Amino acid sequence: MTTTTPILIIGAGFAGLGMAIRLKQTGRDDFLIIERAGDVGGTWRDNHYPGIACDVPSHLYSYSYLPNPDWTRVFSPGGEIQAYIRKCAEDEGILPHIHFHTDMQESRWDAEAAEWVVTTDKGVYRCKILITGTGHLADGHMPDIPGLDGFTGEVFHSAAWDHSADLNGKRIGVVGTGASAIQIVPEMQKIASELVVFQRSAPYMIPRWDRAYTEGERRMCARDPQVVEDLRSEIFWSGEFNFAQRRNIPRFLNEAKALALGHLETHIADPDLRAKLTPDYEIGCKRLLISNTYYPAVAAANATVEPSALARIENGQAVAASGAIYDLDVLVFATGFEAVRPPFAARIFGTEGISLDAHWDRGMQAYDSIAVNGYPNLFIINGPNTGLGHNSVVYIIEAQVDYILGALDHIAAQYVEVIEVRPEAEEAYMQKLDGMAAGTVWLAGGCKSWYVDQRSGRLTLVWPDFAHSFREENGTFHPEGYATVAAE
Amino acid sequence: MLDTQPYRQGAVTVDGVTVRYRVAGPDNARAPLVLVHGTAGSIDGHYGYIFPMMAYRQRVIALDFTDPGHDRLDLAHLVAQVRAVIEAEVPTGPVTLMGYSLGAVVAAQTAAEMGDRITNLILAAGWLKTDTHQRMRGRVWRALRDQGSENLTEYMTFCAFSPAFMNARTLDDMVKAAGMLTITPFVEKQMDLNARIDIAVACETITAKTLVIGCTYDMMVPRHHSKQLFGAIEDARYTEIPSGHAVVHERAAELFYHVDRFAAQPDGFAAGTIIPAQKP
Ligand SMILES: Cc1cc2nc3c(=O)[nH]c(=O)nc-3n(C[C@H](O)[C@H](O)[C@H](O)COP(=O)(O)OP(=O)(O)OC[C@H]3O[C@@H](n4cnc5c(N)ncnc54)[C@H](O)[C@@H]3O)c2cc1C
Repeated sequence: MTTTTPILIIGAGFAGLGMAIRLKQTGRDDFLIIERAGDVGGTWRDNHYPGIACDVPSHLYSYSYLPNPDWTRVFSPGGEIQAYIRKCAEDEGILPHIHFHTDMQESRWDAEAAEWVVTTDKGVYRCKILITGTGHLADGHMPDIPGLDGFTGEVFHSAAWDHSADLNGKRIGVVGTGASAIQIVPEMQKIASELVVFQRSAPYMIPRWDRAYTEGERRMCARDPQVVEDLRSEIFWSGEFNFAQRRNIPRFLNEAKALALGHLETHIADPDLRAKLTPDYEIGCKRLLISNTYYPAVAAANATVEPSALARIENGQAVAASGAIYDLDVLVFATGFEAVRPPFAARIFGTEGISLDAHWDRGMQAYDSIAVNGYPNLFIINGPNTGLGHNSVVYIIEAQVDYILGALDHIAAQYVEVIEVRPEAEEAYMQKLDGMAAGTVWLAGGCKSWYVDQRSGRLTLVWPDFAHSFREENGTFHPEGYATVAAE
Repeated sequence: MLDTQPYRQGAVTVDGVTVRYRVAGPDNARAPLVLVHGTAGSIDGHYGYIFPMMAYRQRVIALDFTDPGHDRLDLAHLVAQVRAVIEAEVPTGPVTLMGYSLGAVVAAQTAAEMGDRITNLILAAGWLKTDTHQRMRGRVWRALRDQGSENLTEYMTFCAFSPAFMNARTLDDMVKAAGMLTITPFVEKQMDLNARIDIAVACETITAKTLVIGCTYDMMVPRHHSKQLFGAIEDARYTEIPSGHAVVHERAAELFYHVDRFAAQPDGFAAGTIIPAQKP
């Protein structure tokens, strides 16, 4: 069966839905979304591990045009975010446009028809415009652990939590110390008989200014939308302030470092443990984490910080790279996502018939962080150079959606059949980014992080500037970067 | 490895005293940006954020005022220091001049005197003419100072920050911040000068493209002063930042956003425009 639609969006997370909602709000109905799972939400549907919450305050980490006065906390729990996303999809009439349980397996450019041919497990779609909203943290990364098959206990990834597993009183190992791990560890410490955290490198951590909103405050937000708008502005600009740390300016970096190391000292009295938890790279080079509960948890009597990676499973026991051996009943992999080489890229084939993943053999890149030469009529949301170390991803998504709306207007006004970014424009954009990235903490901070593509040493995931300048530079469509073919 | 920006230190002699300044950032299509600090300020104190961040975008020059050593400080003394730095570092060609607080008053007067040398002007939390409300505050300040009160810097801190900014911190944090202020004889002279400002006539003659930035919750130089500047300067546009007077600390990134945008494209908004806030 072949379904034809002018616009096809892949993925129903913040990105894909945000695109759909704005299309609908601006009077367009001619789109479909395909989503491999059975619900909307993306990240917030898949991640439901104990302790999950956002790291950017909820009033900002939501659509600007669909404010929610009812957030219960400054950093709301994941379930609330998922419920919010679902409500947005329902209220804005998007659900009828979504084909769930439909996995994009291959997208091929058909030059003759000037269309994308999208093969899924539920049939073929043909569309003029293809928009990916497949996420940058959508596919869990599992390290290759020799002997893991021989582990007889429970094993799962943080993004595929097995709630049927009984963890009470168990010996639990958590692998990783990233953003998910530090939310999971305090919850596991409460219920485990023994907890081991496998730490390859210690993260920097600062206090989390979290609290519950009172009912009165929620009613205030509902009664006076200006209050929410003011809050958003306050949160956004204090996030923006922190870009100076990523920019690697000594004064601001040192302030953040002092805050983080002071936080460590306040909570960790034992000098050995404190040494283990002290990072050996510059602050901000990896994601700066926020938690009030992680340090107390790992300092608890039932917790051990293993200062090396999980190396292998031998005789059913977990063996760390340091040689330490642990008897465990449960292994939780909080080991992050396939971010540097997103899986969707291996499934998209352009004018030359090669996949985006192969095309990106030196790392991801896209003009205006959205379009790739050789892949006409394709817009990528949350793709190369869109990630932020310091502010809300939804802000970036909204800028990219605005860009695409502008492109669609241009396409309609000029009767464009084929629109493809010029190679020179893409190269010039990348050179501009390289110049901006030079000297930032991600490149100069002395750590290996998922922000940098190890094949080229290039910063391929992060937008190396303020979030506001992303909107300034990439929030409006730039027709001059593209070559177009008009309909006859 | 920190990205320690190279900056060059310079000095000029004005009225027999040495005025120090810093220069950083690449020379490009933008006019060099000259930064003028306000009362009790310095490059690090008022431009600790703007100076290094703008230096990633363009050439930036900032000076530290020096006490000229007279009993009474006049606006002309400070204007002379700014002029001398501009003449030393940007002897020809366009300049974007920015002042904050008393620095904005100095910058406006300098722009009036230097004519078309100052092509673009940014006035953050500045004023045109000292009014009763400001004189009342100055009177309390003077009284606390004369009593040698320990609460003087707390009073200054209380006046400088918006309620929202303070409420995101603890009382201890705010008291600690107050403790970092030091009142020198030069600061006293600046406070005295603040009570005598009237640049209304000069502002009528400013030809520079001007961006006036008012602060919504400013209790020291309330935003009506910025609106007066917006009215008095012919080629002015206006925007507001929701902060107290201490915008350089409270909303440094938002201030950067406006400064950067205006410095890149001074005619991005026509004269008379009230530029809306960026809604995230
Ligand atoms: C635990 C966690 C916490 C986070 N906290 C924050 C935070 O506090 N602040 C912040 O700014 N960001 C945070 N992020 C980043 C977060 O991923 C983004 O903010 C945002 O949710 C990304 O939205 P998205 O729509 O681009 O991607 P996703 O939410 O990942 O959605 C992508 C969707 O595409 C679908 N899909 C993928 N491939 C295919 C295919 N081939 N066919 C069909 N469908 C497909 C997926 O099933 C998914 O539904 C967090 C991420 C994680 C994992």
